[in-house]
Amino acid sequence: MEKLFPEYPFPLQTLENGLWLIIALPLLGAFINGVFGKALSRKSVHWVACASVGGSFLLSLLVIWALGSASAFVPNPFSSDTARYALSADYGTWFSAGGFKVNFGLLADRLSASMLLVITGVGFLIHLYSTSYMEHDKGYAKYFCFLNLFVAMMLTLVLADSLVLLFVGWEGVGLCSYLLIGFWYDDNAKAWAGRKAFITNRIGDFGFLVASFLLVLLVAAAVKEAPQGTPATSYRFSVGLHEKGPLAFQSLSALATTLVAQDSSLEPSENVPPLFIHRHIETGPLKGYSYAGVMTVVLLFFLLGAAGKSAQLPLYVWLPDAMAGPTPVSALIHAATMVTAGVYLFCRISYLVVLSPFAMATIAVVGCLTALIAALIAFAQDDIKKILAYSTVSQLGFMFMGIGCGLFWAAFLHVVTHAFFKACMFLGAGSVMHGNGDETNIKRLGGLRKEMPWTAWTFLIGTLAITGIVPLSGFFSKDAILFGLETQQLADVHVLHTLYYLGLVAAACTAFYMVRLYVLTFEGQRSPLAKLPHAHESAWPMTLPLGVLAVLSIVAILHGFPYLLPAPNASPNQTLMEFYLTPVFGLANRIGFHAQTLLGNGLDKASWESLLWTGWLKAWLIALASGGISAFLYLKLWRGERKFPAILEPLRRFAQNKFFVDELYELLFIERAKGLAKGLYRYIDAFLVDRVAVHGTAQTVGFVGKVLCWFQNGNVQAYASAIALALAVGLTYALLQVLS
Amino acid sequence: MNASSTLLNYVVFLPMAFALLLLLLPGNEKGQIRFATLLGMLVNLVTGIWAFAAFKPGGPEFQLEYRLSWLSDLGISYHLGVDGLAVALVLLTAVLGPLVVLSSWRFVEERVKEFHVCLLILQTAMMGALCSLDVMLFYIFFEAMLIPMYFLIGVFGSEERQKAALKFFLYTLVGSLLMLLALLWVFFLSGPEGTRSFDYAALYNSLMDANREVSLCMQNNAHCSNLSATAAALLQWGPWMFGAFALAFAIKVPMFPVHTWLPDAHVQAPVAGSMVLAGVLLKMGTFGFWRYAMPLFPAQAWAYQNVLVALSLIGIVYGALMCLAQKDIKKLIAYSSVSHMGFCMLGMLTFQAEGTMGAAYQMLNHGVSTGALFLLFGMLYERRHLRNMADYGGIAKAMPIFTVFFIIITFSSIAVPGTNGFVGEFLVLLGTFKSNLPMWAGILATTGVIFGAAYMLWVVQRVFFGPVTQQANASLKDINFREFVTALPLVLLVFFMGLRPQPILEVLSPSVERYVARVHQARPNPEAKTLSPQREKEALWMHVSALPPPQPLHVQQVDDSQPLLANNQPGERP
Repeated sequence: MEKLFPEYPFPLQTLENGLWLIIALPLLGAFINGVFGKALSRKSVHWVACASVGGSFLLSLLVIWALGSASAFVPNPFSSDTARYALSADYGTWFSAGGFKVNFGLLADRLSASMLLVITGVGFLIHLYSTSYMEHDKGYAKYFCFLNLFVAMMLTLVLADSLVLLFVGWEGVGLCSYLLIGFWYDDNAKAWAGRKAFITNRIGDFGFLVASFLLVLLVAAAVKEAPQGTPATSYRFSVGLHEKGPLAFQSLSALATTLVAQDSSLEPSENVPPLFIHRHIETGPLKGYSYAGVMTVVLLFFLLGAAGKSAQLPLYVWLPDAMAGPTPVSALIHAATMVTAGVYLFCRISYLVVLSPFAMATIAVVGCLTALIAALIAFAQDDIKKILAYSTVSQLGFMFMGIGCGLFWAAFLHVVTHAFFKACMFLGAGSVMHGNGDETNIKRLGGLRKEMPWTAWTFLIGTLAITGIVPLSGFFSKDAILFGLETQQLADVHVLHTLYYLGLVAAACTAFYMVRLYVLTFEGQRSPLAKLPHAHESAWPMTLPLGVLAVLSIVAILHGFPYLLPAPNASPNQTLMEFYLTPVFGLANRIGFHAQTLLGNGLDKASWESLLWTGWLKAWLIALASGGISAFLYLKLWRGERKFPAILEPLRRFAQNKFFVDELYELLFIERAKGLAKGLYRYIDAFLVDRVAVHGTAQTVGFVGKVLCWFQNGNVQAYASAIALALAVGLTYALLQVLS
Repeated sequence: MNASSTLLNYVVFLPMAFALLLLLLPGNEKGQIRFATLLGMLVNLVTGIWAFAAFKPGGPEFQLEYRLSWLSDLGISYHLGVDGLAVALVLLTAVLGPLVVLSSWRFVEERVKEFHVCLLILQTAMMGALCSLDVMLFYIFFEAMLIPMYFLIGVFGSEERQKAALKFFLYTLVGSLLMLLALLWVFFLSGPEGTRSFDYAALYNSLMDANREVSLCMQNNAHCSNLSATAAALLQWGPWMFGAFALAFAIKVPMFPVHTWLPDAHVQAPVAGSMVLAGVLLKMGTFGFWRYAMPLFPAQAWAYQNVLVALSLIGIVYGALMCLAQKDIKKLIAYSSVSHMGFCMLGMLTFQAEGTMGAAYQMLNHGVSTGALFLLFGMLYERRHLRNMADYGGIAKAMPIFTVFFIIITFSSIAVPGTNGFVGEFLVLLGTFKSNLPMWAGILATTGVIFGAAYMLWVVQRVFFGPVTQQANASLKDINFREFVTALPLVLLVFFMGLRPQPILEVLSPSVERYVARVHQARPNPEAKTLSPQREKEALWMHVSALPPPQPLHVQQVDDSQPLLANNQPGERP
């Protein structure tokens, strides 16, 4: 593949120094449109917005070109490793305190560069699309300001070279998503949806933060306790810590290497080889826990974080509601880029993920259940955007399954292909809405193929791609994940094989509801309930992106094709994507490959590289059959009254109401929290603390004062009588004493 | 440079001088009065910036020292000086000063002169409390803050102002009187008659040996046999003294359960009052803990760490939950202060570098963000004179620029990265995890991240989004130029402090290091030393310029280019 392009001809140093421009351009665009937007004409607004993202796209192309060159490598400041095919830049300290430090450091390796292309490429197309879609909107400049800001934040997320900087992008995209979901804020429901998204994301961010803090502790413990000769004990590591802080990814990769080092101080036992990771921590706040245990907890907290951002169980509920935003936003943020951040995170820290088979299994299980549940809900939805939203949730579930079985490249390939075909379909849905008076109910559409041919054909390509029909990109990406589930082994935890069958069911469901969506919208007769008598095809700024994305949905299959690689150093049936990402996932693979011998549990190398056609074929046939049945049912090829079987009606209702998950959460958590807050306020704060304690003290003081007042009322007669009384009592007492 | 040795006098007393000037102006010249006050605050800001710029992070602990003997028979002197934290808070106070005046430009129309005199005197008192290096001087300024604040709330507040002002006054007075008692006690403990001094460094140094003995004894009974008289007294009565200091400062912070004055005071206070209260006055509590309660009683600080941490954690979560139960926006912001100040306290109680740094930074953040929240809400209040969320809705349509500002501050308040709040909160939480506190404490504190978003976005939602429900809200005017200029500095600070925190952190860093070392000398389980022995020794002892010979009313200027003590210079920063 390197042979296809000439070597990058310009000095790499210049490109490294200019990496920040990729982020700064959209940021500048957001600034111009945000501050001066009202004074600018619409034309200038979208020129600024599109040009800034387009500029970033060109720079990203340069980056990916440069990453083909072997002279692009980054020495790891923490160990003797180098990251091959990577560029990095460090723009100084962000903040430091005590032993902690974070830099403004950027890292572009092949993983982040691929994401860069997706973000800026798809992002540019969606900006272009938006110029037409948002044409008549009053908040034109505001919209493009937010959209540019989003792109900048997403680019920060993928270019960050430390977890903290990644978190900037992580929260930043959540923020933009909040702003864009609630873009039409005068509709209360839409504004609520934005808030729901942000708070659900924040629950995930809580997990992210806790995981990061635990990692800091883990690094500190490893520095103190690791066996001699491992990276963490080297002088270089301490220099690295001083320069870049413990949460730089390079530090974490050195940590991973340290954790799988042989540890002679441990007793060798039969099923647990003497690795440092199995030792118990002796110093610091984590004293008593084992490194492996803490790592599992860290990954589970990251899973919570990723579940928030990538809409997995139990935090997926915000994504369907997020469809309240403008449709291009749904395409860019809630399908192509932001929601894949969780997958990206796990890919970024793949070398940590493989350290804990238990966490991997959990990731896979969560992904699988999400894929299945979302697919089932999608069956019964009638809103075109809602169906696509649930399908996104479901596809993200597939990506998590990929992470869970250690096929990071496959999960990431699915991120890329999904970005193409799902963005294509979302934009298609937007085009449908645009041409049909904002109608979103597919039962009130129909027969659009003749009126909107561009939209229909591109949507069909998207549908076929997500279903996994052969010459389209969804085939290899999804089926590679299923294949991984079938063949991989997490030795201690035997779940993957079960998940494989559930995954097949989810794939079948996907095919069914996607074909249903396509057929009901574009085939058959126009529904009599349609808002407009005739639909109209959208203008070129909308159809052009559709076309480009449809082409990409087809072409992207090349990345997944095995037996394609002429390079001499590649394994015979590696896919292009796998080979391309080898420098990124190399460490994870090494740890995973040696798992059998090193960790005593982990991934099986033997099956890792042998792709079996039968496995691919099985998944493909199932999807094809399911899609076929759906087409048969909804195309009305079969004459006669189509009636939904009465027995299944309650089930359909149940699915239509999204299994009442929202209501359940409302009842279990939100109402509880509100009740708790009200109760605490009323009984503890207002009554116990303020009324009883504070005012009580004041009143007691007042009361005592009043009582004492009575003793000094200034009345001489009263004083005299008191004296007399006291005298009398005293005398009586004395008398009694004397007498007895 | 000798100009800088008198600088703090100007920082402290210039506002007072302008207050005197104001007294000469006729009361009905409202414009003149406002301009004079603004000018005074701006001059104060210049001196504040000057002080901040003159402070050298690598230099001695207390800089810009100025000393004059005063009431020397009682052991009191007029001694000013700032460390890193104090100078940062001085800058914060100076920045808020002019904004406070601008915020009330149209809000106060009655008794304008009295109002501005109060503001200026309050500024002097706050600056004085921050700059004092004599504990009694600190106490005087600390109490002096109450009086102008009492009038600001009680005279210029809303309907139930008198009640709130009285509550505020009594609440804080109770705590500080107990503190005075403890302070006198410490003073008498500190040495034989004639050598005693209220000078902060002298007091601290004289107690240090006794504190060592006490902490050894508290760790192991074997060391309890031959305690010095001071140490024995400290051992027995230290908890009470620490308790008195802690109570006084906890009320100011405010910590749960002595926080109930805050919502009332904030609700009733005018915008300016709320801004100063949230922006600076609350920090006097955390500053007091930092400067006095912890270093003077380190053994007790360790002993009661768990109690204080528990209260801080309750403050964080409970404060946030309280916010969810409020209808009144000012009350909600007040409770959010309880939650945020809980983070400050938690960070300080980690007794550990990252957490303490986070706490120090969070103090500044809270001043900026919550000050800005009150400022912005004040603009809305000025237009509608309504405080309930239900009375608003759809404001974003009528007041777009205002909405943008409010949302930016909201995100700073909930600590979105890139804004100031994130740096402080992140460091506090990191410190909590790294400290000796149990893991669940850190996890519980981190849930504050979720609650914070829940209540702040709720406010934004109810006030700014949705349809316009009340006709009067539809025709509101967006902020004018004066209001824009008032809010803009804070909005810019939010981003500046979020993206370039390092210059400020570097000023704070030596103070953090010393605070941690001083508390750590009494650590029950000295597993982890944060500093090398040499640097620890440097950090532990306090060095200030020697007291000049008692020559009443003669100004002795300290030449700080010449260290008065040979070992006056802490080691070079790495």
